[in-house]
Amino acid sequence: MSVRSAMWIVCLLVIAVPVTFANADSTDPFSRDVAPILVKRCLECHNERDASAKLILSDKSAALKGGESGPAVVARDPGKSLLIEKVRSGEMPPPKRGHSQKLSPAEITTLQNWVSAGAHWPDGRKLDLYEATTDVRGGRDWWSLQPVRRPVVPSLDITAPSKSPVDAFIQTRLNELGMQPAPVASRATLIRRLYLDLIGLPPSYEEIREFESEPAPDAYERLVDRLLASPHFGERQGRLWLDLVRYADTCGYERDQEKPHAWKYRDWVIAAFNSDLPWSQFIIEQLAGDELPDRTESSVIATGLLRLGTWNDEPNDADEYKYERLEDMVHVTSTAFLGLTVKCARCHDHKFDPIPQTDYYRMAAAFWAGAIEPRGRELLGGPTRDELGFDVMGWTDIRQPPPLHLLRKGEHKHPLGVVEPGHLTLVPAIDRPLEPAPLGAKSTHRRRQLAEWIALPENPLTPRVLVNRLWMNHFGSGLVRSADNFGFTGDKPTHPELLDWLAAEVSRREDSTHSGPVGTATTHKSAMKSLHRLLVTSFTYQQASLHPQQDLYSAQDAGNRFWWRAERRRLDSESLRDRMLIVGNDLDTRMTGPGFKPTIQPEALEGLSRKEGAWKPSPSGEQRRRGVYMFSQRSLLPPLMTTFDFVDTTLPCVQRPVSTVAPQALALLNNSFAHERSAALAERVQREVAESLTKTTDLLDYQIRRAWQISLGRDPSNSEIEAARSHVRQQTARFQKTLQTPASQVTRLPETGKVLHLAADSGVQTDSEGRVESWNDQSGQSHHASQTVAAHRPLLVKNAISGQPTLRLDGQKRFLKVSGQVVTSSAFAVFAVVNDQSTTNQHREIFSNWNGGAGNSGTSLFLGMTGADSVRLSDDFSGVGKVMRRSEPFLLAGFNGSTGLSIQQNGTDLAAKSQTLSPRNLKTDYVIGQQGNIDGEYWHGDIAELVVYDRELKETERQAVTQYLAEKYRLPRQVQQPPRTAIQLALTSLCHVLMNTNEFVYLD
Amino acid sequence: MSFDCTTDGQSHGLQSLVHVNRREFVWEMGAGFTGLALTGMLSRDGFFSKTGYAAETPSINPLTAKASHSFGRAKSVIFLMMNGAPSQVDTFDHKPLLEKMSGQPLPEGKKFTNSGGRKVGFLTPSFRPFRPGGESGLMISDFFENVRKHADKLAVIRSCHTDSHAHGSALVAMNTGKTFIGRPSLGSWAVYGLGTENESLPGYVVILDKRGGPISGQPNWSSGFMPSSYQGTLFRPVGDPILDLRGPGYLDRSAQRAQLDLLAKLNADHMAARPGGSDLASRINTYELAYRMQAEAPEAVDLSQETKATQDLYGIGRHPTDEFGRNCLVARRLVERGVRFVQLYSGGGHLEETWDAHKSIETNHGQHAGEVDLPIAGLLTDLERRGLLDETLVVWGGEFGRMPFSEGKGEPGRNHNPYGFSMWMAGGGAKGGTSYGETDEFGFEAIKDKVHLHDLHATILHLMGLNHERLTYFHQGRDERLTDVFGNVVEGILA
Repeated sequence: MSVRSAMWIVCLLVIAVPVTFANADSTDPFSRDVAPILVKRCLECHNERDASAKLILSDKSAALKGGESGPAVVARDPGKSLLIEKVRSGEMPPPKRGHSQKLSPAEITTLQNWVSAGAHWPDGRKLDLYEATTDVRGGRDWWSLQPVRRPVVPSLDITAPSKSPVDAFIQTRLNELGMQPAPVASRATLIRRLYLDLIGLPPSYEEIREFESEPAPDAYERLVDRLLASPHFGERQGRLWLDLVRYADTCGYERDQEKPHAWKYRDWVIAAFNSDLPWSQFIIEQLAGDELPDRTESSVIATGLLRLGTWNDEPNDADEYKYERLEDMVHVTSTAFLGLTVKCARCHDHKFDPIPQTDYYRMAAAFWAGAIEPRGRELLGGPTRDELGFDVMGWTDIRQPPPLHLLRKGEHKHPLGVVEPGHLTLVPAIDRPLEPAPLGAKSTHRRRQLAEWIALPENPLTPRVLVNRLWMNHFGSGLVRSADNFGFTGDKPTHPELLDWLAAEVSRREDSTHSGPVGTATTHKSAMKSLHRLLVTSFTYQQASLHPQQDLYSAQDAGNRFWWRAERRRLDSESLRDRMLIVGNDLDTRMTGPGFKPTIQPEALEGLSRKEGAWKPSPSGEQRRRGVYMFSQRSLLPPLMTTFDFVDTTLPCVQRPVSTVAPQALALLNNSFAHERSAALAERVQREVAESLTKTTDLLDYQIRRAWQISLGRDPSNSEIEAARSHVRQQTARFQKTLQTPASQVTRLPETGKVLHLAADSGVQTDSEGRVESWNDQSGQSHHASQTVAAHRPLLVKNAISGQPTLRLDGQKRFLKVSGQVVTSSAFAVFAVVNDQSTTNQHREIFSNWNGGAGNSGTSLFLGMTGADSVRLSDDFSGVGKVMRRSEPFLLAGFNGSTGLSIQQNGTDLAAKSQTLSPRNLKTDYVIGQQGNIDGEYWHGDIAELVVYDRELKETERQAVTQYLAEKYRLPRQVQQPPRTAIQLALTSLCHVLMNTNEFVYLD
Repeated sequence: MSFDCTTDGQSHGLQSLVHVNRREFVWEMGAGFTGLALTGMLSRDGFFSKTGYAAETPSINPLTAKASHSFGRAKSVIFLMMNGAPSQVDTFDHKPLLEKMSGQPLPEGKKFTNSGGRKVGFLTPSFRPFRPGGESGLMISDFFENVRKHADKLAVIRSCHTDSHAHGSALVAMNTGKTFIGRPSLGSWAVYGLGTENESLPGYVVILDKRGGPISGQPNWSSGFMPSSYQGTLFRPVGDPILDLRGPGYLDRSAQRAQLDLLAKLNADHMAARPGGSDLASRINTYELAYRMQAEAPEAVDLSQETKATQDLYGIGRHPTDEFGRNCLVARRLVERGVRFVQLYSGGGHLEETWDAHKSIETNHGQHAGEVDLPIAGLLTDLERRGLLDETLVVWGGEFGRMPFSEGKGEPGRNHNPYGFSMWMAGGGAKGGTSYGETDEFGFEAIKDKVHLHDLHATILHLMGLNHERLTYFHQGRDERLTDVFGNVVEGILA
């Protein structure tokens, strides 16, 4: 059956389901028959606060009185009752989205009969929009709002494989359906699953083997305990929480300022999970850590939760923006802790859940005393350091808040009545008025009371939402699939009793006495970790992801709602990145501190409105830290991460979508990160095999075996070894051709096609002031360079670069003219050893044939720089790349030819593309040190050597020239050299393939 | 392929690329009040037959082409975003009264927010003369003398208004419907609703101005709460247009093919042991797709395949039209290849590098219109002669307009104006030679047939065959729409 037809069946079923009212079994015909229709179909627009046409239908006298058009109900006279007239004509309820909402004939008859019979309406009976769930909205009797009752654990027959209560609930349901659970997964699968699920890292091959051969019956449980105690546990679980609270390190919007100390909040979260902070305290510190009597720097850092939202320093309307910020805080609080969509009630009573509009403002009032009003931009929407008491990012009350008005349609320009601070009213049993702040308190204590209300053991939502999310994180989906929405439009639990049993465990396991703040010695019971333990030690968790009856069961339950197998999962962006780092022994496991910035391709920086200095990657060592420590800049999330569904940081995200698209394959195939990791893995394989091997026969087989062990944690099959061997041999042969001459053996410049070679150590004629009159070309092509005007001559400086001389240009119109046409073909290579002392961000050229009116950037040939540190090559590369340490000598090289256009610094690509330059006008004059005869764009810095080829250079030749100049001028190597031999490259190719396999990316 | 077919759990196969949550299928349902809450109800206990469960997670490519809501002619959109906000009274909204009242203040009673607290000067007429264009005689100024030749193709909306006077918020609003960041952009909605006709290219492409990206960056082409597969892909108009198309030099195409062959074997063995692994099959398939993209994406921007005459038409190879001309020609090549939504930015970075003409309309618009006028005219000519104009909607406009008064005596610039501005559409079912709506006699604020940006969005979706009220995405308990609870299709500009 198609989804569509299934949907229609659902619609019909929904409509057919009778409305169950709390008092539906009453014999009173009004409550039984009439009230449900009025509540469901009329009350949304005709209630006391929002009385459309001034008609109120929630109590008897108002209904009899009627609205603007007259009495709605005239007892015993349906003909005069406007209510009957309007519903019969279909005028009411009004159409929605062009669809008639006309009452059914049966409903109309019911109303008509009621009026005819005297319109009996029991005294004092007031109708309430949310008094009971109907088929259009949830009421206060909605399942998730009912008290958590600890159900009896079903007893299972003795064949059940586990004694865990979790399994008792799951298996009972499976038994009822006549289904069997999948067999237990292999030990290798289990250890991988546990590692990645609990700490986000894979186990090593050795750990897997050890676990497989571990004879102790409690080996699994001991492994679980070890992982729960690992500091990586907090990193993994913390990241999931950071998604939910829209964590990022910057504000977003135009300036996208960094939020100083945001990372301290991230570290607080990680520490909270590692120290097993009780959930109640986790809630209270994040919402009101500043209001605690024993507040500490740590508890104030926790309030950073309220500061994590986007912040616009230039909102369209500063007054309106206050309410946007309130909404953000209400939204994150209600989503993260309560699984409710409270923000929907900002503009009107919630359409689907029992949250009147006043409730939204009652809750919002908790944040109204903070730094909501516009203040200095430098505060980024938060309190000052003094107000906070610590140099951290946090929240605190800074004022006696003015009254908060309910806003018509949520619009700040239409304030209605004042709303007193309070709690949501959807669970009347725990509703209680807020108390005034204690005498002498610095804050309103509204947030603290909100937090305590959320953390009440009697609050039915908090523990349900919590255990459901734990379940979702471990099992792949929640018992309530919509983990961020426990309301009417969300899903109902697949196993309501199990959900409640787990929810009851939260308060049972949590010590009621609070411990100290995070990081201090704690004495509480290990409640949260014990819940994790409870879930992952269940048999249900340990099932295989494949079932002997896979096809049959999939046809019955494709969504695996009955948990008859484990869910296979794809690694998230951080876990994948961490895994790629760890297999090459590259992962830096340092915890805490400011986030690192990964290298981002220059092309990806083009989306920024301010390119200069917008993104400074961290040193490469820093970049090898775990993904959870990556800096999140809202205007520039790293493409490698977003491609793999890294979270959108603007709204709370309870579970990331998992998409599978071609750009992911492109990234893992081509991104330099993937290649660096593959090379690291290949090196590790070579090294470890060389260290352990005494003989050299079958070396390749050992390497292949080791590559499998490290990357996939297992030994390869014979057919895999065979395929890998054949791959490595083929690739070796292929790469041998590519690398015919190893670059390291060449220290001479290739001569063929060399059309210009100027070196400051020979052929330089100076004038009496030591300024360069002429510079002789050593290429044999007589493209000598010269300057006849003394004021334009560069200075010759001896011992300038590693003992070598250089020509020094000071940006004051110094340049040289080159004689003759240097380049004649569309394929060329230009090498220049220079440094750049420019203090402006203007264009500045090293070598050019620009010719004023006759040429332009679209037709001329030039190599230079622009901006602070980016390069330009004939404007096909204009302001790209990022020159490192430009004030120190470096080699800048531009290439054009059949493999495309590229530009390198010290032999490393700054930018490259597969297409060649469009045809150039190569006949105009060539100059060194400015754009051409346009008299501008002067170089400011040294030019020590210039080599130009009038043909395409092979890779090995490029390396040779690079090597020659690098040795001569002792230029730095920026990156670790890629493996050089063909066999190394071939092994890297194999490792690269292994990192691309489904086995590497999916978790069974 | 019809939409019904793609939602059918039976229709997926090896070509499927992604698991899609069932919430994504709801947009097509046009039910009444039940439709609002339908998604949540889908999964309620007891409401589902067992076959209902089985059909729950069909595996399809989110970008697979889908049928529209059965109207609309535009298969593709090219949105020419004039970043920084062009002045309406100097381009498409002729106000002769400004000549007469030149030098006088805007009459009292006209309320406005003076963005950035700049000097409020005096009414200033258009810096270049207006002349009628085409049969329709639409008045267009000399800043767009080449576009004017296409007046009979344009539906000019002169009564646009928006919610913000600040560039960042207004641009995000023009792209996503809201002044705050975090919502899916127009292109994401289009690709979500219709998929793409060519899976070897991104379905939603954004080409920025070389001078820089727009204020707020990424959120302008974000997919917000939708999966990232619907987000805009930044495309560079020369060389390798998208990220990660090439690996290191030694891994040439044949070497990479050898890698993919080994990968296919390893993945096949892995999948053989995991029957029913449609997720695994999907991922295997992305590698072949990626392999094709490596060749096809650069081909799409290879303008050497175009004749000299075509390049000339767009002003390529000439100052100052070369860059935008290339972008326009690339846009044509993309829609020709089935890309659903292309957005080109004119103006990037800040201030005078964009259309933000605070200092001088003549200098600023002279530069920016000079860069885009001929290329846009060339694009319209080229689309028409290739028979593409009818199915390609071209949209032109900025994030807001500019004031009819200067920024002080002798100050020839104009400040931001969200109260009234002009945009135009051409092709794709828009009625040519039309003007719609009016600003007041000063060109200060929209007064007749006002068109809010929600209405613009509703109209663009309508022209693509999507009903903006039915194109919903279920997110956190709510059927979200591009137009929120607003928006009316501007019937007056439909052909």
